[in-house]
Amino acid sequence: MSFAADLRAVLADDQVLDHPLDLHVYAKDAGVTPGIVAAVVFPESSEQVAAAVKIAAKHEVPIVARGAGTGLSGGAVPTRPGLIVALTRLNQIEEVDEAARTAWVGPGVINLDLSAHTMPLGLHYAPDPSSQSACTIGGNVGTNAGGPHCLAEGTTVSHILALELITAEGEIVMLGGAEPDPLGLDLVGVVVGSEGTMGLVTRILVKLTENPPEVRTLLLAFDSIEAAAAAVSAVIAAGVVPAAMELMDQPMIEAVENFKSCGFPITAAVLIAEVAGHPAAVDSEAAVVAQAGRDAGATEIRIAATEIERDLIWLGRKSAFGAVAYAAPDYYLHDTVVPRTRLVETMSAIYEIGARHGIQMLNVFHAGDGNLHPLVAFDAKEPGMLERVKAAADEMVRVSIGVGGALSGEHGVGLEKRDLMGEVFSPMDLDAQARLREAFDPKGLLNPDKILPEGSRCYDFGLVANLEPDSLK
Amino acid sequence: MTARAIEDWQVTAPEGAASEVLALAPPDLDSVARVLEWASLEGRPVIPWGGGTHMGPPTGAPPEILLLTSELNRVVDYQPDDLTLVVEAGALVTDVEALLAERRQSAVLAEHAAGSTIGGMIASGVSGYRRLRYGPTRERILEVTVATGDGRVITAGGRVVKNVTGYDIPRLMSGSQGALGVIGQVCLKLWPVPEASASLSMEVAAFRSLYRPLALLETERGATAYLAGTAEEVAGQAQAVGAEARAGLDWPEPLTQSTQIELRVPAPLVAAAVEQVRAADAESFRAQHRVGVVAAGFAEWSDDRLAALRSWAEGQGGAAVVAAASKQDVDRWGAPPASVELQRRVKEAFDPRRILVPGRLPGGV
Ligand SMILES: Cc1cc2nc3c(=O)[nH]c(=O)nc-3n(C[C@H](O)[C@H](O)[C@H](O)COP(=O)(O)OP(=O)(O)OC[C@H]3O[C@@H](n4cnc5c(N)ncnc54)[C@H](O)[C@@H]3O)c2cc1C
Repeated sequence: MSFAADLRAVLADDQVLDHPLDLHVYAKDAGVTPGIVAAVVFPESSEQVAAAVKIAAKHEVPIVARGAGTGLSGGAVPTRPGLIVALTRLNQIEEVDEAARTAWVGPGVINLDLSAHTMPLGLHYAPDPSSQSACTIGGNVGTNAGGPHCLAEGTTVSHILALELITAEGEIVMLGGAEPDPLGLDLVGVVVGSEGTMGLVTRILVKLTENPPEVRTLLLAFDSIEAAAAAVSAVIAAGVVPAAMELMDQPMIEAVENFKSCGFPITAAVLIAEVAGHPAAVDSEAAVVAQAGRDAGATEIRIAATEIERDLIWLGRKSAFGAVAYAAPDYYLHDTVVPRTRLVETMSAIYEIGARHGIQMLNVFHAGDGNLHPLVAFDAKEPGMLERVKAAADEMVRVSIGVGGALSGEHGVGLEKRDLMGEVFSPMDLDAQARLREAFDPKGLLNPDKILPEGSRCYDFGLVANLEPDSLK
Repeated sequence: MTARAIEDWQVTAPEGAASEVLALAPPDLDSVARVLEWASLEGRPVIPWGGGTHMGPPTGAPPEILLLTSELNRVVDYQPDDLTLVVEAGALVTDVEALLAERRQSAVLAEHAAGSTIGGMIASGVSGYRRLRYGPTRERILEVTVATGDGRVITAGGRVVKNVTGYDIPRLMSGSQGALGVIGQVCLKLWPVPEASASLSMEVAAFRSLYRPLALLETERGATAYLAGTAEEVAGQAQAVGAEARAGLDWPEPLTQSTQIELRVPAPLVAAAVEQVRAADAESFRAQHRVGVVAAGFAEWSDDRLAALRSWAEGQGGAAVVAAASKQDVDRWGAPPASVELQRRVKEAFDPRRILVPGRLPGGV
């Protein structure tokens, strides 16, 4: 039987797409590179996911998990004719355990829906990517997503206790558990952030976080981005880890103001900082942030006095990408991380690169953990433009690596940064990663061509690996 | 491996190890890797050895070679303003914490760490009581350099606090029990130490009213909440619950019994786990409320007691782990995890000849 016919034998008609027009819709995520899709399936149970995986394995068709497709690194884009397993219909919030502060959810649950669901209990799901009204928890697990409030709370991996995984062989296996230190190796930690290369996640036990009793949200204005970055470094150095510290530069502030008018001052840089916690602590922590701001030359410091003012500040921050989409047909969003002490010099270098390539750049980023997001707005129809944008991107990545940083802080390596992996890791390091992947996916069918450059596992290092067991005594 | 190198690196076997084992303390991680490569070729089981404080009861094949990390003990790079520390695995936790304390920072590892090394703490998967606030030890490992079972030296992760560049091998090293490789160097994420802290004796039932405590502990002598934050916050919380606050953190002393069993259960079941260990005649116990760990010490070994505690804990989706035993040949872990086959494959990705503590991980992995 053909591949599609095999799929239709186990799934209903409305669960399988293979018409070219339909496939086209699934050929891209929110990144810039399209792929090739053989079929898309919409399973409604773990067993159906397992069945689809087994069929794809039988036909040797690559398998690509997909959540909402908001990923920015091409993680959900098949590079060869592949089966997209869309997990959006596994969207049940199955069980919220108030006493344990946990919930079992399907991977298709939208991030923000979970927090809305648990709000009456005074609990929320802490990782809050800016895309949280669209992206899925399964996708967040796939990329180990972060967000403004991950500075103090940690990224997705810190909030996942257990996963049900469909393996490359189509087996259903549970990893982790509700107890604090599940027995054996921490495979949950390996699967989170593995971008669908180690299995498909079909159920997730997440940790829920107590809503803070009190919050102070500050907006600090600066007349240079370097001054704002210096304030961020100073806050960390002062021994305060705020709930969030986000930075926006003037082009971004202007774009946001044009789009939503949140009352942001039009100035070189705005730092949004939030401290959350006990009522007796937030004011003194807010004072530390304000003092660091003043010392770095803040021209204005606002502390939101009401919930409405606080929401307006966050609306400004969270509309940033929408504002850019409104202003330019295409955008390319970077995601590197640098040590927080190197923020100032890195930002200067990034502006210099942007200026030299003559590209329009806007910045909004998770400054508190050194996670940069230079965003280039452009029109891909302009000849040579995409090449220029990508050349600048490469340079920015190299600058970040040069100061001891990382390729990606939260969007993932995917396809986009795969070929830069050799800039941060030795062939031996990449080989080790490839071996780990092989342990989960010996036939290389799970999201091939992602994360690791071609040839990462092309030969065995060391004397031992090259010896057959028989040659050992 | 030359006979000369072996001679140069050989030391007397540390206390707690079998005396016939070949104990080596190589000068650097490359040398460690050479020993591992040689052991892989020869098929000799190896046990990595930090401070020897968290070895647990012997499990799996008896080692022929013992690899000490004692020569790998340098602080490589401390960046206080970045809250990161790069340190070699053989450094003592207490030395590292003393260095960090000068800047009012901490790696938030186990509170009782006399004699323990950084690498040993990570490999044994032990966390401190303060995990309730800061998360377990695995949350702190940003980068690792490891010598694998077949003698490759690999690095993964990075020296930044947020990173998805490649697979999270640093986190995988936590709780790996030495079965994947010898950890040579790590980058740890640090936390600032809050300005004030206090210990409050109180009833377990009142724990509920505290916001973000550092730890909520119960022992055979009563319950204590540990708070940290600004001075006003700590004083305010203590006043609100009407408990007398002792300044500072007076952690309970470690268990000393020759038989120790740790129950790991979903967090809401801690009170029930305490009842279980009390009913099993524990002399002493340390229960971590809202975390789900209850460690108990017993006067003597009893197979029946372990079986009963284990059957209860496993029935709750948890485990009963033997942390110390006065008897040989105990089943340290109990029922293996559902993912045991994947675990075996992951081990072999790092240790293809299975020479590193073979059989030490749950399920004989
Ligand atoms: C405007 C905008 C703002 C953004 N802001 C942030 C931000 O602040 N922080 C951040 O981290 N990201 C951000 N992102 C990126 C993106 O939203 C995240 O990467 C998100 O986690 C992707 O979720 P998704 O459901 O769209 O997953 P997809 O894009 O569909 O998939 C992402 C990856 O996960 C894999 N995957 C998906 N589901 C599963 C599953 N069930 N099992 C196994 N693998 C799976 C896919 O194969 C793919 O590799 C932003 C994106 C946009 C467009």
